[in-house]
Amino acid sequence: MKMTPTRRGVTSVIALSAAVLLAATGCARDGGGGRGGETSPGITDDSITLGITTPLSGPTAGPGTCTVAGLEAYMGAVNEAGGIEFGDGKTRTVEIKALDDAYDPQKASSNYQTLKNEAFAITSGLGTPTNLAWREAATADEVPQVFVMTGDPIFSQQSESPWSLGWVPAYPNEGAAFGEMLAKSSEDHKVAILFQNDDFGEGYVEGFKEAIKGSENIEVVGELSYEATDASVDAQLTELAATDADILFNAMSITPLVISSLERAQSIGWEPSWFLPSNTSSPTAILEPGGADAYPGVYSVAFSKAPASPKFADDEDVKTFLSDLKTYADYPEVPAFPHCMWSYMLGATLEEVFKDMQEPTRENFMEAVRSIEDFKAPLMLDGTSVNTTVDGEPAVSSVVVQKYNGKGFDTVEGIE
Amino acid sequence: MSNLLKKPAVRWGALVVLVALAVVLPLMLPEVANDTIARICVFAVAVLGLNVVMGYGGQVSLGQIFFLGLGSYVTAYGATNDWNIVLTFLAALVLPAIAGLVIALAAARLGGLAIAMVTIALPIVGLPLARRLDHWTGGSQGLSSRFSDAPEWTGLYHDQWQLYIVLVIAVVTFVLVRNFVRGKFGRALAIVKENEAVASSMGISPYWYKVLSFTIASMVGGISGFMYMSVVQYTSPETLAFHHSITLLAAMVVGGSATLAGSVIGGVYFVFVPVLTNAINPNLTAMLQGAILLLVLFLLPGGLASLPRRIAGLRRSSGSRPGAPPREEAATRAVQKAASKQPTRKADQ
Repeated sequence: MKMTPTRRGVTSVIALSAAVLLAATGCARDGGGGRGGETSPGITDDSITLGITTPLSGPTAGPGTCTVAGLEAYMGAVNEAGGIEFGDGKTRTVEIKALDDAYDPQKASSNYQTLKNEAFAITSGLGTPTNLAWREAATADEVPQVFVMTGDPIFSQQSESPWSLGWVPAYPNEGAAFGEMLAKSSEDHKVAILFQNDDFGEGYVEGFKEAIKGSENIEVVGELSYEATDASVDAQLTELAATDADILFNAMSITPLVISSLERAQSIGWEPSWFLPSNTSSPTAILEPGGADAYPGVYSVAFSKAPASPKFADDEDVKTFLSDLKTYADYPEVPAFPHCMWSYMLGATLEEVFKDMQEPTRENFMEAVRSIEDFKAPLMLDGTSVNTTVDGEPAVSSVVVQKYNGKGFDTVEGIE
Repeated sequence: MSNLLKKPAVRWGALVVLVALAVVLPLMLPEVANDTIARICVFAVAVLGLNVVMGYGGQVSLGQIFFLGLGSYVTAYGATNDWNIVLTFLAALVLPAIAGLVIALAAARLGGLAIAMVTIALPIVGLPLARRLDHWTGGSQGLSSRFSDAPEWTGLYHDQWQLYIVLVIAVVTFVLVRNFVRGKFGRALAIVKENEAVASSMGISPYWYKVLSFTIASMVGGISGFMYMSVVQYTSPETLAFHHSITLLAAMVVGGSATLAGSVIGGVYFVFVPVLTNAINPNLTAMLQGAILLLVLFLLPGGLASLPRRIAGLRRSSGSRPGAPPREEAATRAVQKAASKQPTRKADQ
């Protein structure tokens, strides 16, 4: 390069300006706070700010919007009533700062950078990759990443994620709930397993197999997988039908595939009882169009009351929830996604946590987060509760098995 | 203004100021700003790669995000397996280049839209592959590595260190690509873009130049993947989702196709617009982003990089308004206008 004549000049100018500015600004950075100082950001004597990064646009915007709406509904009502009295005796209102990450991990990690200095804790965000993207950064920066909506168990392992905690049941929790019910059955059952070949499907199968281990009456007669990108599972269903199993454990997360497999199994004359994951067992969106009535039973798991179900139409919790949602979250319709209920329950749990907090610091907050035992949040079904004291388990790990009744779901004790 | 910029003293002075800013700013700015600038560098380089094949080469590529994703996966794999960092960087650069070369050898035989179709397939195939090859990619949970944290001896914060890394890589990449597109190869590529028959008659093989530009674009994509991993420190199948390719393309068009400044503006667009729309209303980000895209394309079809030229053009035309322009002048202007549509090197400066 032709830099030689001016190189010396260039170097000295750079060195000089760098040295001057370093001296002038080097210290400003340290005193700025927000990098692990004593006072945690996002909390004052009369308010606390919660951050959310979640998909508010793109294909997952529906459930993503719900993760904000439920929390806004609960906290809106709380603020209206004057705020929450924290464990340190101060009453604070709760502000919510939600950002859109469009289910893009890169945007989620960018949002994290914004939120960590403005919010006291980051919560409620939906998505496994989007939460994984900043999990390690949150650990390093000691920023609470609590009650996030992902079934990945890593968020609930304290050694791996000391500053994180999952909210919803992990995939194995759901599989295990169904397995336990089968194991208790007095009859013999032959089970065929169909699972999605990723951490979602494998998680369900792992939990299920763990639960039926040692049960004499349960026999797994067939186990096949498919790819999340597959357009059809007809071949797998035909092969599994040949095993003559009376139970099909179907760990599938793709809505159209669930509908087509419900139709396919009937058309080849195989009518077992089905197990479906909680997120692909919507009565109106999946079971009705799939013709699930034809089967002796379609089972799924849940931990929240479903406002759409006629059974809960007059339930007090459901009524308050729907009116809060309308008043404080500008969400007038009955939510189609359970995430609205989940984030509402999450709000109630956070209120419990705040009541336990003795000091306005993130450290103390995390201690309080991990000390909730058997808390029954509004909208919770009987038999489920919030329990954060068990390492390795998300805040809600208990689910109840439910059976499809043609319109909605009823809680059942055993297989019928 | 442009005369002033041509004086060597002024140019050197400006360069010195820029370098000094690049050295000093990361130390002064708050963490969020450093992080945002670092992300802009990442996507400016990704858009630059796309510009090589599309802006300068004239081939429609919708697969650029695949090469960014590949680069980020190679980096993440290298970092989690304790490869030497220089080796990791080279791998993140060479492997996407090889992938690009192999694809281009086949795809460049197809003309026009066919090459666009082939490139669409890349992220569409890449995403399930990334999920499935979980031994290397960590499956749908992805890979994370904090390999780019600041070493103790520097006394820097992580964000400062990361910004320095990506700044250096970005500047070097931009300089190299600038030399490429303004040199012998770039001139030949411009002819291939304009008219393949003319290129062939001059002894320039359109096929090989398409392959060359696609390979370089892939390599630059791989470099941006390394930078992505340095800043975000996490990669997953979502990283190479197809819609990001479209956003990159939009960023390139908004910035200004076939310009270096346009690549930088494209990077700013890619990173800053989501931040901006989030600040306005997080529930309307998609709509606002669409509105911004439409607005830029309506007002400045040549992209934001054409803004100075556009202003100069407006000033000139308003200056000559009193009295109708003589015929010859109008004719000359029409010729100039036609000429300015050609990808002349001047336009890039």
